[in-house]
Amino acid sequence: MTALKLDELALNALGDPTRRAIFEKLEKGPMSVVHIADGLPVTRSAVSQHLKILKEAKLISMKQKGTRSIYQVEQEGLLAIRKYLERFWDEALDNFKKLAEEAERNKTSKK
Amino acid sequence: METIKLTTIKKEVVVQASQDTAFKVFTEKMDAWWPKTHHVGKCPMVESVLEQKPGGRWYSRHEDGSEVNVGHILTWDPFRQVILAWQIDGNFQYVPELITEVAVDFIPDGPKTTRVILEHRDLQKLMGGAKVVESMDEGWGMIMNLYKKVTDEA
Repeated sequence: MTALKLDELALNALGDPTRRAIFEKLEKGPMSVVHIADGLPVTRSAVSQHLKILKEAKLISMKQKGTRSIYQVEQEGLLAIRKYLERFWDEALDNFKKLAEEAERNKTSKK
Repeated sequence: METIKLTTIKKEVVVQASQDTAFKVFTEKMDAWWPKTHHVGKCPMVESVLEQKPGGRWYSRHEDGSEVNVGHILTWDPFRQVILAWQIDGNFQYVPELITEVAVDFIPDGPKTTRVILEHRDLQKLMGGAKVVESMDEGWGMIMNLYKKVTDEA
C-alpha cells in the first residue's frame, strides 16, 4: 500500500486547473510535451512537473517514440475516481436505507 | 482513441418503507445519511441542509458557522422524484459552473416497500469535461482565467 491511495492521487492531480487543462488536451489524443505546453500559460518545466504528477496518479502514461516522449490518457486513474464516488454513494445509500426503515417502524408503532 | 466515459453511476436500493417515508427521509434527513467523511468546506460539518421546494438551496453548515453551497434542487416532485444539481467537483469543492445531476426516483413496490434508484449523471464533467470542451473554442486564456477565478473563490 502506497502512502496515498490511487483515487486520492487522481483527485489531487485533477484538483489543479493546469493539470485538468493538460488532461483535457490529452483526451483528444496522445501528444508530445511541446504540443501539450503549446498555448498553456505556464513554463515548459512547470508542464513537465504537472505531467509527472498526472503520471503518478495513473491518469496518463508516457511512451518513447524515437527521441520524443509521447503522453496519453490512462484509464486506471479515471476508474479510481469512479470507484471512489461509487463507494461514496454505497455508503450514503446504506445509511439512508437504515434511516428510512427505522422511520417507517417508528411511524407504524405510533399508530 | 478510447477513453472511459464516466457518464453515470447507477445505484438501486430496496427499502422496507413507504414511498413518502423514503422520500422524506432522503430529502429531510440528508444530514443523517450523508457520509460525514466527505464534506465540502475546510471546517468539520455540522449539518447538511436541503430546502424543501423547487429550486431550493442545498448547502452545509460548519462548526465555524460558515455555510458552504453544495448545489440546488432541479426537480421537486414529492414523493416520486427529486433531481439535484451537484455542484461539487471530485475533491468535494463547490464549483458554481460545474453541474452534474443526481436523480433519485422513489418507486412503490408495495405498501411498505420502495425501490430507490439513484443516478449520478454527467460524471465526465468532474474530469474537467463538458464545460471545458465547450469553452475550448474560446481559447485557453479564457479557460485558465475561469479556472483561476473558481480556484480563488473556493
